Amino acid sequence: MYSVIVVPPSCGSVADQLRISAGESIEFGRTEPSGGGLAIAHAGVPRVAGEIAAHRTFWLLSNLSEDQTYVVENPEGAGEHIKVAPGRVEAPVPFELARVTLPAAGDLLSFDVWAPRHAFRSVERRGLEGAGTVPAFALDRTKRYFAVLAALCERRLRGEPRAPLPAVEEIVERLRPSWPKVSRSAVYWNIDYLAVKLRLRPGPDTAEPGRRTHGKKESLASLALRFDLVREDDLVVLAPASSGAAR
Amino acid sequence: MSGRPYAVPVPKGYRIGPWEVREPLASGAFATVYDATRAVDDGELPRRAALKFLATGTRTPRQLHHLRDLAEREVQLLRRLRSPRLIRMYDTLAVDDPDHPELDGATVLVLERAEGSLDAVLARTPSPDAGPALLAQICEGLHQLHHAGWVHGDLKPANVLLMADGSARLADFNLAAEMEGTHAYAPAFATPDYTPPELLWPEVDERGARIRPSADVWAFGVLAHVVLTGEFPLPGGTSEARSDAATRYARGREELRLSPGLPDGWREIISDCLARTHEERTGRTAGTASLLRRVERVAGTSPAARLPRLRPYRLRRAARVGALAAVALAAATASTMYAAREDDEPTYGYHRCPVASVCFFSEPNGGGDMCSWDRNDADWLSGSDTCMWTRDGPVKSIFNNSSDDSTGLGAVAYFRGRDFTPVGEDVTRENSRNRTGCTSQRNQGNLAGTYAPLSHKWIARC
Repeated sequence: MYSVIVVPPSCGSVADQLRISAGESIEFGRTEPSGGGLAIAHAGVPRVAGEIAAHRTFWLLSNLSEDQTYVVENPEGAGEHIKVAPGRVEAPVPFELARVTLPAAGDLLSFDVWAPRHAFRSVERRGLEGAGTVPAFALDRTKRYFAVLAALCERRLRGEPRAPLPAVEEIVERLRPSWPKVSRSAVYWNIDYLAVKLRLRPGPDTAEPGRRTHGKKESLASLALRFDLVREDDLVVLAPASSGAAR
Repeated sequence: MSGRPYAVPVPKGYRIGPWEVREPLASGAFATVYDATRAVDDGELPRRAALKFLATGTRTPRQLHHLRDLAEREVQLLRRLRSPRLIRMYDTLAVDDPDHPELDGATVLVLERAEGSLDAVLARTPSPDAGPALLAQICEGLHQLHHAGWVHGDLKPANVLLMADGSARLADFNLAAEMEGTHAYAPAFATPDYTPPELLWPEVDERGARIRPSADVWAFGVLAHVVLTGEFPLPGGTSEARSDAATRYARGREELRLSPGLPDGWREIISDCLARTHEERTGRTAGTASLLRRVERVAGTSPAARLPRLRPYRLRRAARVGALAAVALAAATASTMYAAREDDEPTYGYHRCPVASVCFFSEPNGGGDMCSWDRNDADWLSGSDTCMWTRDGPVKSIFNNSSDDSTGLGAVAYFRGRDFTPVGEDVTRENSRNRTGCTSQRNQGNLAGTYAPLSHKWIARC
């Protein structure tokens, strides 16, 4: 599996994403580097602006610009961010989801970097030595993708195993009380990220744009329920169901 | 200690069936194993056993249905397979005890009591003298599992148990999976240090990740290295770092650097088990049967009894007529016996077919006798490769296990006559090609009717 996925600005499709695995790196700059990489076409961006290297479950950012500080923020982290000064090489970035912002001649340009291999283990001690058997999936219950997954599976978890999946609009409505800025595209974005994070085998219907998200939603919900990735107790991440939502 | 110390806490002295629970022996991610003594003497079972409690109750705080799946896998495997290198299951019980809601509904496996695990031995004495002999027995257990069409899925020192006489048995089959054609579905758990690179971050679908016997072969390679040298074969101080090293190695970024302390002969075996990909591993180890021969040779142990050719259908019939007959038959031919006790599900034998070969079977679902070829054969009944059972019986199933696209010849056509000629029904058959049949690359299935080919050849497409 790829350690780090770089999503270029205004990335339209999965094909435009750049994927690197542990030990690999890519450069980014004004023109696409010769060996492949991320081009940010803006006059204010240095020709070689920086480098992203994947390392284990996290990644390293090198700021190769002369005088600009880059900011890496956790978009879900209530302002949590790190600054990478010009010339700093291999600054470790601890966020699973990150937005890199480059100042360029008065504009702020940004692109996203995902680190889907971020793993979460139970801290419970079992009184047994030796290599432990661990679940293959590790989701962060505080992330928005988890709330999206919970909303997706809610009806089936509440005792209607055959209930149809909610439409994206319904998920948006369900999430709004706890996440006021939620939008359709944010939900789509999180569904795409979940499919990457859970390494969902691309379905045969990926070619059809209309059915694509539905197939993905259906596969995600089946997988999550089969392996108890969300349980009824987890529905607390959603606001209490109002009478409107229950109708 | 934070949290609960054991996956399933059971009070000492707790009674279940004829058993009284004693001290905990081990606790894993899903289950806790307790020592138990028999409180009621029924003269059949031994006085001591190990009780494995799996929290499968509907009223347990965690209503985990995947735990039921894991429990079911182990029960199915142990019910259906019995062999000297697999831990024995005497019975299964269900806890019916509303006063203990955390236990109510738990599944209890009554297992043969072992002295300890290989993990505990290695903690005391790294690279023990008995290592090579134990590895030969572990490999034998693996071979018995694969031969019966199962993948262990979680082979590691903690899951190898040592008996009072010092012999090793495989245990812990919660992640085991029965082959369905060329692969099985494993539940989504793994022990990263023993997981092959292709399964560290596997693609999954709704049923989980696909696993093949080559996963156990990788785990055996890691285990052999750990047992013989006391170190993992891949570098790194944590299991995450070693998983990363495994990924880099699999992508060709790094070479495998095995410990210089490996005893003679083991380096080749372990490098073959740790080949980068499933295909390479399968090619270089050529199945656990041939791996076992090599391990036994280098370990200097006496060869294990050759397993009888697996004939699921015949064994089943024997089992229906009477288990005693099956016992006598197996005991007379080999020290190993498979008791097939479940009759309702088909058993698949396609996994026996070597890679890059076409295999013909005398029974449906890859069962019965098998003949395999990697080239053309103009006459099945004479020449260097023969397939004599086809003289008297038809081919009932076929598997074209070719995966090499380089030759352009991926499909296999077969004929009733010698030298790829149509004879008899081939000629009168209502198709233009005048042949008995044709099977495309990676296809497998049962053949209806009486297919009695005498020759076959590789062709571009059917």
